[in-house]
Amino acid sequence: MIKTWELDPNFKNEILNELGGENLTACYQCSTCTLGCPITELVPSYNPRKIIQMSLLGMRTEVLSNPDLWICAICQTCTARCPQNVVVGDVLAVIRLLAEKAEEAGEIKIESPRPLFETAFLHTVEKYGRLYDIGLAMEYYPKREGSFIKGQKAMMDDYMAFGMRMFFKGKMGPLGGHGLLKGVLPSKIKQRDVMKKIFKWVEEKEKER
Amino acid sequence: MGIAVIGGGVAGITAALDLADAGYKVYLIEKNAQLGGKVSELAECGMGLTSRIVKIENHPNIELMLSSEVEGLSGSAGDFKLNVSGNEIGVESVVLTPGYDVYDNIAKGYAIDNPDVLPSLEFEGMLKACTKSENGALVRPSDGKPVKKIGFIKCIGSRCQDNEICSTACCYYTAKEAWEVKERYPDIDIYIFYMDVRTFGKDEALVSDLKGKYGVKYIRSRVPEVIAEDGTLSVKYEDLEKGTVERLDLDMVVLAVGLLPSKTMDKLAKITGVKTDKYGFVETGMTSPLETSVSGIFAGGVATAPMKVRESVAQASGAALKAALLSGRTETIPGQEERKYIEVGEEPKIGVFICGCNGDVAGSIDVPAVAEYVEQLRGDVVAVNTNTLKETMDAIESGIVDQGLNRIVVAGFSPREYEEMFRDACATAGLNPYLLEMVNLREQCAWVHVAEDATNAAKSQMTMAVERARYLEPVPIEQYPVTPKALVVGGGVAGMNAALDIATAGYEVYLVEKESELGGKLKEIPELQNGVKGSDVLTEFADKVTSNDKITVYTGVAVEDVRGRAGAFKAKVTGAGVDDEIDFGAAVLATGAQEFVPEGYFGYGQDKNVVTQSEFAKMLPVDANTIAMVIDGASGDGVYSKSNSIEAVTNALKAKKLKPEANVFVLYQEIKTYGKWEMLYKEARESGVIFLRYDAEKPPVLQDGVLSVFDVIFNDEVQIKPDLVVISALMQPAAENEQLSKMFMVPLKNGFFLEEQERPKLVLTPVDTVNEGVFICGSAVYPAMIDETLAMSSAAASRACVLLAKNFIETPGIVSVVDDEICAGCGVCVEICPVEAIEIVDEPVAAVTYSMMTVISGTKKVARVTEGCIGCGSCASYCPSDAISLQNFKAKQLYAQLDFA
Amino acid sequence: MSVEKLAYLPGCPSEATALEQHMSTEAVFEKLGVELVELEEWNCCGAAEAEDQNLVYALNARNLAIAEKDNLDIMTPCSICYYNLARTNNALKANEELRAEIKGIDPSLEYNGTITPKHVIDVLVNDIGLEEIKSKLVKKVELKVAPYYGCYLGRPPETAFDDPDDPVLMDQLIELIGGENVPFSAMKTKCCGGPLMMTRGDLAFEMARKILETAKNAGADCIALACPLCGMMLDAKQPDVEKALNVKFEMPIVYITQLLGLALGIDSSKLGLQKNVVDTKKILGKVV
Repeated sequence: MIKTWELDPNFKNEILNELGGENLTACYQCSTCTLGCPITELVPSYNPRKIIQMSLLGMRTEVLSNPDLWICAICQTCTARCPQNVVVGDVLAVIRLLAEKAEEAGEIKIESPRPLFETAFLHTVEKYGRLYDIGLAMEYYPKREGSFIKGQKAMMDDYMAFGMRMFFKGKMGPLGGHGLLKGVLPSKIKQRDVMKKIFKWVEEKEKER
Repeated sequence: MGIAVIGGGVAGITAALDLADAGYKVYLIEKNAQLGGKVSELAECGMGLTSRIVKIENHPNIELMLSSEVEGLSGSAGDFKLNVSGNEIGVESVVLTPGYDVYDNIAKGYAIDNPDVLPSLEFEGMLKACTKSENGALVRPSDGKPVKKIGFIKCIGSRCQDNEICSTACCYYTAKEAWEVKERYPDIDIYIFYMDVRTFGKDEALVSDLKGKYGVKYIRSRVPEVIAEDGTLSVKYEDLEKGTVERLDLDMVVLAVGLLPSKTMDKLAKITGVKTDKYGFVETGMTSPLETSVSGIFAGGVATAPMKVRESVAQASGAALKAALLSGRTETIPGQEERKYIEVGEEPKIGVFICGCNGDVAGSIDVPAVAEYVEQLRGDVVAVNTNTLKETMDAIESGIVDQGLNRIVVAGFSPREYEEMFRDACATAGLNPYLLEMVNLREQCAWVHVAEDATNAAKSQMTMAVERARYLEPVPIEQYPVTPKALVVGGGVAGMNAALDIATAGYEVYLVEKESELGGKLKEIPELQNGVKGSDVLTEFADKVTSNDKITVYTGVAVEDVRGRAGAFKAKVTGAGVDDEIDFGAAVLATGAQEFVPEGYFGYGQDKNVVTQSEFAKMLPVDANTIAMVIDGASGDGVYSKSNSIEAVTNALKAKKLKPEANVFVLYQEIKTYGKWEMLYKEARESGVIFLRYDAEKPPVLQDGVLSVFDVIFNDEVQIKPDLVVISALMQPAAENEQLSKMFMVPLKNGFFLEEQERPKLVLTPVDTVNEGVFICGSAVYPAMIDETLAMSSAAASRACVLLAKNFIETPGIVSVVDDEICAGCGVCVEICPVEAIEIVDEPVAAVTYSMMTVISGTKKVARVTEGCIGCGSCASYCPSDAISLQNFKAKQLYAQLDFA
Repeated sequence: MSVEKLAYLPGCPSEATALEQHMSTEAVFEKLGVELVELEEWNCCGAAEAEDQNLVYALNARNLAIAEKDNLDIMTPCSICYYNLARTNNALKANEELRAEIKGIDPSLEYNGTITPKHVIDVLVNDIGLEEIKSKLVKKVELKVAPYYGCYLGRPPETAFDDPDDPVLMDQLIELIGGENVPFSAMKTKCCGGPLMMTRGDLAFEMARKILETAKNAGADCIALACPLCGMMLDAKQPDVEKALNVKFEMPIVYITQLLGLALGIDSSKLGLQKNVVDTKKILGKVV
């Protein structure tokens, strides 16, 4: 049972005010997004239509703490097919951003390592101007597992074999003939200060809202 | 001069015929090589359309310009010059009926290249074709296997980014296609995927029949793709109750594609200067639905907005009349010339015309063999093979004139559809039209039998007909003058508009309103959706009506004692100190409808926080923080107006705009914002109105200030604490309809007047009734938006004017005849006669002889058939002593037929 | 041929996991006579991990601005880089205010919307053209190929350059070089699972499995693709998918530029075919 007077009818406006969330309210609940979703095929509970409906109604906490938010593969099938141009993929991205903010504010707890992963990814971009796979993994795994040691183990489980493949194929390391530490050390751009400025600007934009 | 009708689809055909039949010169311009447009592609196209096309082809008042396009237009209303494929024509006014094109940018995800996936028009064609196939089975085009499961996917190219508006017609035509499949192939399973079922009135009843007794599954999901794998088709849909995505295998998929403006519309708009809206449809107004932005140019049908055939032809009729008002009646109306019938001798000379119907008949029947067989029948019988309707008509006329044929047998077509035309052909050639006999060799032979069986069956059907024809006798033809006046019942916007249109066309009108003033429902509407005040519209119409010296307005009165027939009615108008006898040739029933809230519905009446939509509209702005609207939930005597959703969405949007922080909920079963109103629905959502969908089985409940509704999309109960509950009232027909129905002999359905043709057939005469000369329009037929009501009332006016334009009407004279010698004067026939055209009289009896003696003179009671007999045959069938017979169905004619059966 | 010189954004994976895509792209364009000017100091586009659109716009404005200075359209072989460049280009072109704001971050982000971002496939088929390519082919690649497009070529509509449900450009290239496209339309545009690899590996593996399995069942000799993330998921992680789900595919995964390079007569080592994780030797035998 949903008691509308206990909900936050302003939640839809929070989404509408974000870049990418502008078309949320055009939704007429037709199921197109859910029916084409490759994730729904694997995880039946995953239902972007329902996430939108709950958002429209103002079920802020339920939406933001929904672990399903974090299994979207951003494949854009929903966005491409939506008859009302809701830009479902972007709306879900906005909701994820709002969830991260809400977690920061201590309102909810996110049951997914994905924010950690994305943050780690972007940290390398901020730092070097380009993605640095190893740096990303070194930040992500320990945070995800809660300790450095556990993180190292998890990383080894996931990426030991993969890393060896990369090594032997010469994509990382000396065997490719592209340099001794190819892919092992970060590839850095010179204008890293611009990266810092960009991330700072984005952070300030977020605070503005 | 004359009137140009641009576009020869069903709308253009309707407009052209209304005009030409009323004596106007018409130029009918069609870009294709034949008339008919999209409707001719429909499965049941033959019904009604073909005969109209032939009529146009033979109409002396219509100049048919096929394979022609309008290339230029100059001048102004009353004096237009049109360049039509290089030819210049001068006209006073123009009717635009260019029709539509279907959406064809279908996403590849629907597997459109798969032969078993068909857009709706192609499916119609397929249904039409399998009527004629050998065993009539519906098979998959890919492998010829019988179809067991069909899925219909709605809203393909409607309510989407490519075409934002609702195509309106698809919900109905999908239901009709499903119905047709189920009627013909009851074992085929049908699944219809939809978002909202936007059908109204009788179409709604059809959908409910489909869901009920036909077992068609309506599933709410907008299916985004058809998965074609290894020779199978499947679709995915959301089972809202289970909360799962389900996959369903199908043998065939039909895509209900949307209706877009005709591809020629753009060019036509440039040439004519007519403004189009952002969707490419001709721009018209809510209170001027047939008028374009250019004076003297009118539009009808899908040119103005997507709509069904029924609404299209109504608009076309209406637009025709509007155009006629700028032109003059310069032409003779066919059938209005003096006719003399040749004396028919005793010896029948029978002409038999067998039409191959372009293969429809000749495909399964060996027509030459049948003709040869017929010629061997006893007596003077001549057989002629033809191939088309027109060929047959021409052959009949020359057969009568040149060969002296005096009995005609026509074989091939359905008499229901074409009998009148063939009778007319006989009459034109001077033969009494009742010396015609028809044989339906198409539906009743060619389509149901094959090969040799068909030919043999045809031979016996022909023999029966020829034998009956032998005994046909001329039926006396009576002529009576038409009273060039109309009666309009109902002084609401529909009635006033109809009265004005008929009066402007030059006929006197009696406008009768039961209330003390004109106006009807419009009085209750503060503001139309376009922002115009209801009272302004009302004043404008009422002023025009009262200042028109051809219109006699009666208020506070009732119509009583209606007598007579098409062209020559009489009635009494009584009340408010009036007791007048009026004569009129045609009647328009426009009695409207009224709001009704069932007793106890949401405590309406007791709870002051529960109001109707129309009350709410008058209350705005309101300071409620939470407003909940419940639409289409009430059950009781009455129907929901076609504008029900639109009204609620309009008010919800207004409330939200006036107070953006208010919570506005709309609880609905189907949001029926058809056509361009879809944009209003979108605007309401975008403004933050929340829509909650419920099922009829679990209606919302208001208790202790809490409104609970089971939202079927959420699959959960949602509770609201509204400050104000707004309910939609039902619409009830006018109380006097019951009485009017009896007096005017127009049947009712749920209290509303019923048009001539019953759904789910193609409705080509939406304002005509079974009683010729009586027309219906507006909310008296079905409560609808003001634009539709006005278009329909102009259509009724147009149809009335076609009748009033005639000087006289020809009818078979007294059709029922009484054999005085047998008649015992029992009077059963008097009781049974629906038109009171039989009376019992005392007839002097000259002499009665008993055996060898006694001569007594005296009188005897016998039945007399009087003027007004409509030849229905009720008396003949009830007569206990077989003393009454119909001239055209005499026992000897029937026995002759049976003898050879 | 309408195109002679393009700015080139190789993208982050070009430096490691998708080295062979980078190599083959450069080699193919050299052979076709189109000069690629690698963007000096290019930065990461933010990939799928930058969910804040402001971040995407700012990061990509910089790359666009660098190309604009040379007045060159910008080409990338990476589908995600393309998507981010293209949507940034659309947003900045339409919004002067946003342009000004982004320029305010740093003058090097000044972008005026005068160039167009393109994906390699778009350039090959629509700009260079099949006829032109055909004239330079020296070999036939007689392979049965499953053309795999993934996500960002046909969708979302605002940046797409191929049909969202049934894209054809890669099919056309494969046919042109003598290959045969196996029936693959059900999987052509399905997501590979890549973005979930690090957070929901189970889902990612399952998604990859479907694609690999469909290709194998369709009798493909290899899958051709055009996105380094898809490449990572389907090729580099293929042994992991096989291990986790206890299946065996051994399905070679090649970038479309590698296949095209073979048909243009470029040496396989220059195309990086030795760097693909699943062995590609057996497909080389079908290049005649």
